[in-house]
Amino acid sequence: MATVVTTAPSPGRGLPGWVKSPKFARILFPFVVLGIWYFIYYTLDSRIFPAPQTVAVFMWEEITLTSGVRYSSAAENIYVQFGITLMRLTIGFFIALILGTIIGLAVGISKKVDAFFHDWVMGVLAMPALVYALFLGLALGFGNLGPILAVVIAGTPFVIINIREGVRNTPKELIDMARSFEVPQNKITRHVLLPSLMPFFFAAIRYAYAVGWKGLVITEVFASDRGMGWTIKFWYDAHRAHGVIGYAIFFIIFALALEKLVFDPLADRAFKWRPKMDAVQMAEGDFGGVQREGFLLIEDQEIEEGVDTTVAKGGNF
Amino acid sequence: MATTLEQQAPGPRSAEEERLLALRKKEIRDRWIWRLAGYVFFLLAWALVSRIVGDNLIPGPLRIARTIPELIESGRFFSSFGATLTRIGIGFGLAFLIGIVIGVLTQSRWWNGFFRDAVTISLVSPSLIWALTGLVIWGFEPQGWIFAIVMTTFAVVTVNVAEGIRALPKDLTDMSRAFGVTNWRRQRDIVFPFLAPFVFTALRFGFSVGWKVTVLTEVFSSNEGIGFEMRVASQLFRMDELFAWAISFFIFALVLEKLVLQRYERKFFRWRAEAST
Repeated sequence: MATVVTTAPSPGRGLPGWVKSPKFARILFPFVVLGIWYFIYYTLDSRIFPAPQTVAVFMWEEITLTSGVRYSSAAENIYVQFGITLMRLTIGFFIALILGTIIGLAVGISKKVDAFFHDWVMGVLAMPALVYALFLGLALGFGNLGPILAVVIAGTPFVIINIREGVRNTPKELIDMARSFEVPQNKITRHVLLPSLMPFFFAAIRYAYAVGWKGLVITEVFASDRGMGWTIKFWYDAHRAHGVIGYAIFFIIFALALEKLVFDPLADRAFKWRPKMDAVQMAEGDFGGVQREGFLLIEDQEIEEGVDTTVAKGGNF
Repeated sequence: MATTLEQQAPGPRSAEEERLLALRKKEIRDRWIWRLAGYVFFLLAWALVSRIVGDNLIPGPLRIARTIPELIESGRFFSSFGATLTRIGIGFGLAFLIGIVIGVLTQSRWWNGFFRDAVTISLVSPSLIWALTGLVIWGFEPQGWIFAIVMTTFAVVTVNVAEGIRALPKDLTDMSRAFGVTNWRRQRDIVFPFLAPFVFTALRFGFSVGWKVTVLTEVFSSNEGIGFEMRVASQLFRMDELFAWAISFFIFALVLEKLVLQRYERKFFRWRAEAST
């Protein structure tokens, strides 16, 4: 099979091998973006659109605290702003996790409870962050409570759905067998129930955190006087494009760091014993495309064992 | 396959079947009762909270039900819907096309490597940064909000299309390669028909993300549309209007997404499920 592919004619046959490698393409991408940026910079008739080096200098000054900018809020530099957001995110996240786990277990165990909550959970899940951002700003003012509640509102439905799927996916025959062999209940819980729930619980954590963060920054724009969202709005209000773009890049770095440094190692550790994550992907499927990160890296083996999950996605909810 | 099942004469049901049927009927009835109970409970809770903290801060469901007709009468309702839908049509339409093109390109490992980081970045970053970036670069020009919608939505489409690519029947593509079928014909006759249901799923997911970004861009860079009206309502402290705008468009989008798109998806691709069984 591999020989068929390698002998197939490819369009760029004349090029050297390293140019054709996907790794080179991956490295090429940021340079292409930079090229487009310069192109826009030189062609766009705008006095505020910054050159890449302007943004780089701005970001460097923000990181090293040499910019001399005084933010009109109590938090005066990027670390404090990001720290405030991280604190709100973490508090809200744990509330969402506890609340979501309780409701998720109930909903997973009983079909009646599921019917009771289902439409409302779906409704909150699909609600745009803007709605509760505007509302929380008006209702609760500019303190910490509004942003924390935003994380809870954004994150809880994700936890509920994942835990529900997890409970439904517990291997009933294993539990039945354990019962018939008179295995004590706490052992069943520890060796059957929890391990089968783990991947779903983990997916819940990951998506609650990611979605909570996205909702939080929008809420901070409308319902806070500090934090990451507020800071990028500060630069926007000041009409400093280099500030907005610089902070946009900070946001991306923050999100990527979270994925690469926290969640990916955690996932590796949590699923070392587990060969596949298909079931989890299934439960993740209906969240509007938030998919397992790094998914686009298609390896040969993955193509062969690729599983059609659309059926599950289409009929899930 | 399905027809043969239907042609079976419905013989007299056994007691076992009778019992199962009754059980299922009861289950469905129970489901509806509990669902209804959920609606009653949450609506009452909402009304109670609004009674306690005040109708002006949290307007109750009845007040909102009265506000929506008022908005329709004022004439702003349909023009705002029209403005927002136009934006969605342009912005999301473009994002959808770009997403599909990139998704199809991921067949090649080179393009896959090229766009990999772009898709990751688009998936993990909040829509807010694209909305503000587009705005600060292009001002109120359409490029600004188009940029925001495309940057937030295209990856959702790409990921779904790429999933289709991943599930592509490898024996077919291998065979077409072995028989020297041209690339374009391979795309047209094997890849595109195979991708169709994935594209439909991509449309549904992309739309669910796309309309939210669209409304967000309207808050910053528009003088009409649902997002704009929501901002105005919040600035005037008209909570009932804020909720009325939000809920009416929310319900509209949900109906479109869940009922219309999902139903058509099932209808169009029913043959596929049958073929695979």
